[in-house]
Amino acid sequence: MQTLSLLISDIKNTLRIRFSASLIAGIMLSVFISFALFADDTPEPRQANNQQLSKVQQNWLETEFQPSTLSLSEQTKELQWFQQKSQPFKGMTIRVVSERINTHQYESNILAKAFFDITGIHVIHELTNEDDVLKKFSAQVMTGQRLYDAYISDSDLIGSHFRQQHVMSITDLINHQAKAYTLPSLDLSDFIGLAFTTGPDGKIYQLPDQQFANLYWYRSDWFANADFQKQFEANYGYPLGVPQNWQAYEDIAHFFTHDISEIAGEKVYGHMDYAKSDPSLGWRISDAWLSMAGVGDKGLPNGLPVDEWGIRVEDCHPVGASVERGGALNSPAAIYAIQKYKEWLVKYAPPEARQLTFSESGHWAAKGNIAQQIFWYTAFVPDFTLKNLAVMNKDGTPKWRVAPSPVGKYWQKGMKSGYQDTGAWTFLNHTPESNQIAAWLYAQFVVSKTVSLKKTLVGLTPIRQSDIESDYMAQKAPYLGGLVEFYRSHARHVWTPTGTNVPDYPGMAGYWWQAISRIIEGELSVTEGMDALAEEVDNHLIKLQEQDLTCGPKVNKKQVPSHWLNKPGAPKAELPNKVKGKTLPFEEAINAW
Amino acid sequence: MLGKKRVYSLLSTVIFLIAEINSVVAEEITVYTYQHVPFAEQTDTKHQGMIVDIIDELFSRAEIEYKIIFNPLKRGLTMTERSKNVCVLPIVRTQQIESEYKWVGPVLISRYGLFSATNSTIPLVTLQDAKSLSIGTYLGSGISEYLESFQYQVQLTNDDGLNIKKLERGRIDLWAAELISAKVLMEQAKVQLGEPELIFHTSLRAMACNKFMDDAKHQALVNALNEMYQDGFMTKINREYGVSL
Repeated sequence: MQTLSLLISDIKNTLRIRFSASLIAGIMLSVFISFALFADDTPEPRQANNQQLSKVQQNWLETEFQPSTLSLSEQTKELQWFQQKSQPFKGMTIRVVSERINTHQYESNILAKAFFDITGIHVIHELTNEDDVLKKFSAQVMTGQRLYDAYISDSDLIGSHFRQQHVMSITDLINHQAKAYTLPSLDLSDFIGLAFTTGPDGKIYQLPDQQFANLYWYRSDWFANADFQKQFEANYGYPLGVPQNWQAYEDIAHFFTHDISEIAGEKVYGHMDYAKSDPSLGWRISDAWLSMAGVGDKGLPNGLPVDEWGIRVEDCHPVGASVERGGALNSPAAIYAIQKYKEWLVKYAPPEARQLTFSESGHWAAKGNIAQQIFWYTAFVPDFTLKNLAVMNKDGTPKWRVAPSPVGKYWQKGMKSGYQDTGAWTFLNHTPESNQIAAWLYAQFVVSKTVSLKKTLVGLTPIRQSDIESDYMAQKAPYLGGLVEFYRSHARHVWTPTGTNVPDYPGMAGYWWQAISRIIEGELSVTEGMDALAEEVDNHLIKLQEQDLTCGPKVNKKQVPSHWLNKPGAPKAELPNKVKGKTLPFEEAINAW
Repeated sequence: MLGKKRVYSLLSTVIFLIAEINSVVAEEITVYTYQHVPFAEQTDTKHQGMIVDIIDELFSRAEIEYKIIFNPLKRGLTMTERSKNVCVLPIVRTQQIESEYKWVGPVLISRYGLFSATNSTIPLVTLQDAKSLSIGTYLGSGISEYLESFQYQVQLTNDDGLNIKKLERGRIDLWAAELISAKVLMEQAKVQLGEPELIFHTSLRAMACNKFMDDAKHQALVNALNEMYQDGFMTKINREYGVSL
């Protein structure tokens, strides 16, 4: 009954609806169903329900898993559930792999150990580069060898998962194979990234584990400098602030690199980026750079019928990426996006930027001589808030902020803007059931409410609404440079990962870095490079036609570009060049979304 | 009806294409590998091992002429970077070197473990548990770079077999090694360290070819390897050499 009254009180507070007799009846029915689901339908003996936590387990709870949005008794109940449900798998070793960001290091080093102490299941949580995670996933599919029992891989693969059917969907796991092993308090609706991991068939294919966005980063202390403000307004005719469009970003880049040039005797730059020939160069562009420019169509989480990869989909079938086939990968908007990327790199970034990879460039802005960075991964927040950095104040607050990124001239309201992704638990079909369930238990443990707030505070990659809304995050907000404000704003719905238009992410991702590299090296012009890229993607789609895929490609015949460019939506015809720069103060920039 | 000119033009195109295809196929590929028992071994009379068998099958299926040369890994990599028709294997395929070669893989999936000395037990739940311990590895094994990147205390040797001696003499706490080669090295050293304390890493090893290698050749090799997985050849050869995950 306590659960019932809590539930009613929650609904009253959050939904602000009036109770009616039928609603109460409905709630009672759903509570009854919930109790039925909570009821133990597994073979374990009943006394397991009363299993006490050992001293070691109690120690994890009291020292490591704090703070939490759950009360201590609710946390205890969750841990007891893991302890009880893991009995059949005690002594097993399972292998999982993820990329090597702070959140996963915390899981691999701390949570895997805690899970072992609580359940007796030994988890080898390997860490490697993101590209290696993809390669291993593909290798497991290709060879049929069981490299891992589960992967934490980016939700960018959703278009591949629902088409290729190598992956066991979370929906199926919860409803069938692992029904008895699904944490009653998992609370799927609390996950903020679930839309990213849901296929067009309505199934959830991956369970979010960590989530990060790609935002605009800037030195708020420099932007607040009265002299700089005065000088900027005099030079450019509008206030120095958070840029709302690419023209303003360009003006600010020019202002700091060339007009200001030095601060306290140090050379400063108005832009930072990376461009070394490396798989991460592809993500720099395929991770929504084209959508920020406005290449695709309107629609969330991704543009439809044309997405930010420039791929057109008709009735769930990809039909082409080149303008000639109705796509937008070599459209004027895409060419504009790459031209700006290259132009800013050459004109405004430190000369070293061209030779850096994503991870090598990541910490540059923390050195203290970068004024702004249009494409900055929030996974770097923990490293940018360390004491004694040039970009930190003595009181522990940062001298920088993140804000929603500015958009290019082809962008229109209703379109996705920047990139946000969730690294999510992914289970392959051919994994033996016991390994799959043991890995499922670990996956649920590391995202459970018992540990998720602490994990969020360590890695700053939030996945749960309850954590974002917690008082702890509110207290932490001034120290995180706008990250909490972003996640509490509507903007977070407009920053999304690669969508379902991309039918074979692992097979197609390589085309990006190879094409962009040829453009950066000057081997091809931007137009030639994007034409070549569009053709490669088209050819890949044509090759995929031979496979028996769900919603597989049905590539359009080539038409003259004007056939598509003269129609509404993407691909869009060329727009005149000049747009006036626009900026906003931070609070307004957040609220603009 | 085709005109005479068009027939000649068509004929010359076909001849040109056949000549091109022949020249692609005719150019021999030099494949470098290195002494890496039991995967690749050069004796006085022959080349043998799982990698040698895989190379043979791969190039036969792709219908490309090849020759194998045994050389230290570093030299194999240098030669591959220099010349168009050169490949080297097995190489740990990582993001850092992805753009430097054209890849055919995976040819080998390896697991790495941490071994303790015969008379000691070091219980490890996570790799982090080994943070305060000294770990011996083999220079150029890939695993040394991996461990160093996480700030583990790594001690390098030029000869992996030496790590067993170092372990037994207490000069290192743990030895990080690929499981199959570790077994052979233990047999050679007549030391049985037992099961690893922790199997902590999986790597994909592939054939790295010069990045300017002809696309058609590269694709033929990729297709051949896919076929070898699909028709069970790779499973069979892994079983023959006792390689399993």
